Amino acid sequence: MTTSTTGKRQLDATEAAGPVIQVSAVTKRYGPVLAVDRVDVSVATGEIYSLLGLNGAGKTTLIRMLLGMVRPTDGQVSLWGAPVGPRQRAVWARVGYLVETPAAYPELSVRENLRLAARLRHLPGSAPVDEVIDRLGLREYAHRRARTLSLGNAQRLGLAKALLHQPPLLILDEPANGLDPAGVVEIRDLLRDLAEAGTTVFVSSHVLAEVARLATRIGIIHHGRLVRELDTNDLAGWARPSLRVSTRDLAGATDVLRRAGFHPTADGDALTLPDERAVAAPDEVATVLVAAGCPPTHLTVAREDLETYFLRTVGGLDGGHG
Amino acid sequence: MGEAIWAEVLKARRSRLPWLTVLAFTVAAGVGGLFMFILLDPDRARAMGLLGAKAELAGGTANWPGYFALLTQTIAVGGALIFGVIVIWTFGREFSDHTAKDLLALPTSRTTIVAAKYTVTAIWCLALTTQTYLLGLAVGTALRLPGWTTAVAVEALARMMVTAVLTVLLVTTLGLAASVGRGYLAAIGVMFLTVFLAQVIAVLGYGHLFPWSVPAIYSQIGGTNHPHVGPIGYSLVVAIAVASVTATVVWWHTADHTL
Repeated sequence: MTTSTTGKRQLDATEAAGPVIQVSAVTKRYGPVLAVDRVDVSVATGEIYSLLGLNGAGKTTLIRMLLGMVRPTDGQVSLWGAPVGPRQRAVWARVGYLVETPAAYPELSVRENLRLAARLRHLPGSAPVDEVIDRLGLREYAHRRARTLSLGNAQRLGLAKALLHQPPLLILDEPANGLDPAGVVEIRDLLRDLAEAGTTVFVSSHVLAEVARLATRIGIIHHGRLVRELDTNDLAGWARPSLRVSTRDLAGATDVLRRAGFHPTADGDALTLPDERAVAAPDEVATVLVAAGCPPTHLTVAREDLETYFLRTVGGLDGGHG
Repeated sequence: MGEAIWAEVLKARRSRLPWLTVLAFTVAAGVGGLFMFILLDPDRARAMGLLGAKAELAGGTANWPGYFALLTQTIAVGGALIFGVIVIWTFGREFSDHTAKDLLALPTSRTTIVAAKYTVTAIWCLALTTQTYLLGLAVGTALRLPGWTTAVAVEALARMMVTAVLTVLLVTTLGLAASVGRGYLAAIGVMFLTVFLAQVIAVLGYGHLFPWSVPAIYSQIGGTNHPHVGPIGYSLVVAIAVASVTATVVWWHTADHTL
């Protein structure tokens, strides 16, 4: 990989040829606990792949396997075609990562923590440290000891360590943790810019709104299994449409619509009808309600958001109604 | 290796532990000097209130060989604890501070990281031994201890350094314990267990064959009552060190790192 004067990364042949991340039938057991169950994931250059799951779903275990910190019980993980392992030093030179909560040496300053990371990455001089300090907005805190940092700034320091060597692959576990709203937007924009310039980004998160805004592809992991993969550009392919109806008499309208063969569910101060018939013909719903004396005050056809989709998917797998 | 050693030195320099270890051995040299001061003239010490009216001092001689022997024994006994704490802190802090994960996927290998930790702790321990020796020279000179010869001073330096090296070789087990135990507690338990066993087994007369008793016996802490440490005893110390360092490297490479 090289970086041009415009900051755009130019890909070498090995980066452009195959998937950056290839996870094949990977399983991880801790005694009787099945943490990851036969997961297959393939991530191409420049993608922002987000792993979405509840706490304990297996996100961090999978990320640790990607980084060679945890050995799969079965299956194989490879980066740029090379099997992952502790001895893959050339591979690790091209990976930036942040696993779970950011860690730093508490008695070292922000700059010293970064300098230490830079030396262990064999980066020459202080330029990479200065650059990443500015990029992550840490200039004001550069001489402050890490133990005195707020959670948000500790997170920035963790991200700075991951970005220090301008790696072509970023593996980030909950990168928005602890950041204020402006910080979340800032990091999102930064990751998008990096991806546009050719960096592959693999993130895990349980913050659905953030994932929806950032990722180009989403994998939903539940009880260790990758249960769905979504392309965020293909919203119509997975986001279920529904008709949202507001009326002054929700209880009465619910009875009327049920009698008419719809399946309304209360959703705050409105009703949601997932029926294809309702989505295709909202006027028919309006006519039914007007005739029954419960005229609608508002009708909207809306596609479900990622949160609804996720909860429906996970709930369905758990045997709930989602 | 140079980069990893630089990193370990930076971490150590920014902590309080180097100063605390310097203080500990300074106090040890000072207490040894006080002991010599009292032995030189017990009546003067009694008059100054340093020695109880009926107290009798035994087991020490107020001269350079006696003072050097005391300092060497301090390295053997104090080293087992203070050198142990240094190694436990160097490895255990990575798990307590959750920084170990940042050392696992780098262009610097895990073997290099472990080797740098053991190298820096060994240099640190030997520097403390040198400091203790130099302080001893200053205190002994100030007390005008009798019996100085260059040969005595050189022999004392050699014995202190060998005692320190034997101790440093043994505390490698604590680097392994702090790694496998992922923190300080298990390693501190191992440290106290080895110190306890070293005492008991030495008293039973088998200390020359028990690695953790070897430094103290070599330092002549029990006088000439113990059998001399032979090739088997020294070989066991080296074997413990080789096994511990190898096992630490293997653990860092093969364990599931979930902290």
